[in-house]
Amino acid sequence: MAEKIEVDPMALAFAKIMTIFTIIGIVLMVAPAILYFMGQNQYIPLSKAMDYWHESTVDFWKDVKGITVHGYDWVFENLQYTDCQSMIGVLLLMMTPLISMLAAAARTPNKTYAILLLVASAEFILSIILKGIF
Amino acid sequence: MAAWWFWPLFLFIFTLVIGIISPVSGVGGGVLYVPLATVLTPFSVDFIRGAGLVMAVTSALSSVPYLLKKGLANIRLYAVIAPIMVITSVIGSIVGLWVSNALPNGKYYVKLLLGIIILLVFFIMITSKRLEFPEVRDEDVDSWSRKLGIVGEWYEPSLDRIVQYKIKNLPIGMAMFGVIGFVAGMFGLGAGWANVPLLNIVMGAPIKVATATSMLIITANAPAIGIYLAKGAILPVVVVPSILGITIGARIGAKVAEIIRPAFVRWLVIGVLFLAGVLNIIKGLEGLGYLPHII
Repeated sequence: MAEKIEVDPMALAFAKIMTIFTIIGIVLMVAPAILYFMGQNQYIPLSKAMDYWHESTVDFWKDVKGITVHGYDWVFENLQYTDCQSMIGVLLLMMTPLISMLAAAARTPNKTYAILLLVASAEFILSIILKGIF
Repeated sequence: MAAWWFWPLFLFIFTLVIGIISPVSGVGGGVLYVPLATVLTPFSVDFIRGAGLVMAVTSALSSVPYLLKKGLANIRLYAVIAPIMVITSVIGSIVGLWVSNALPNGKYYVKLLLGIIILLVFFIMITSKRLEFPEVRDEDVDSWSRKLGIVGEWYEPSLDRIVQYKIKNLPIGMAMFGVIGFVAGMFGLGAGWANVPLLNIVMGAPIKVATATSMLIITANAPAIGIYLAKGAILPVVVVPSILGITIGARIGAKVAEIIRPAFVRWLVIGVLFLAGVLNIIKGLEGLGYLPHII
């Protein structure tokens, strides 16, 4: 019979938050994508994209939409389109480790681990902000 | 020319197969996906790397909660490594996209480098040992691990008892994880092929702990997804069928692996990986004009 092990409370907090946000992220990514594949409200028309998806990202966007992509504007300014809605799910999946780390930092009685998790979270947030700007 | 839906359908079936054979062979899905999809599909290596990274992170996010609750994934080790890996994976993804977009023929340099990395993975896989329960004596534990109390325990059914473990060589491990994060971000590869031997052989974690903690560490590559998204390198047409395929395939594969796990499947997959590495090198050299077009 399995013996009882002692699991770190910060691990349990991390696991609980990760489970919830991963499920939400996958649903938010897949549901609009199904509509996108069915031809509903496409920002990147699939019939046109297929002529250019062999190109590097810069050339792809120039040829398909006539734009240069910098930051997250292409997602947030076009949320009426199903493919951009699907990217919200990807963003949430990306943020899930960050939210889980913050939850774990809040639960740990050990200050060193709280600081380490907060440092990683700060780097995470900084990288998101910098990517949005540049 | 095939209709647009052919390629997402192909990606779905392709990743479904990868998902099934990955647990059976013990070779990570992400490391198979990027080099093979680069060779087999018409999508730019940028989109494949973006999808590969989302796939690796999503697979890790799905399995980590269970591994944490079982005591197999060590969150203390993660807390020490995450601040390093977050930075290096982001730098790796910036460098990777810069090489393929800013340099003339950049995408061929990326293919060439990817092929070389895949051959490195191949050699690590065929040469590295797996230590079930490495012995870490008290005097082997480095001062950082000791001060941070990086220890753990889990219930091992094969022994019918709780196994406790300690970690050694933390400073060396941290430096090496920095390099691994860079490579993972640059090529969109899941880094289990490097994390597991490092945790197991260098840092003395038991193989089950090394495998589980590796999954946890892969989630620290998540910020690199933002780099690909901010450069427009993540497209639903590539990402969604790939994630659905690998998720469904992995569930089937886990069941199959419980019943059969023939050694030849592992060697077959490692052989395919070797072939994918060689093909990427050839395609890179062709694109750069060092080889005539042969494939």
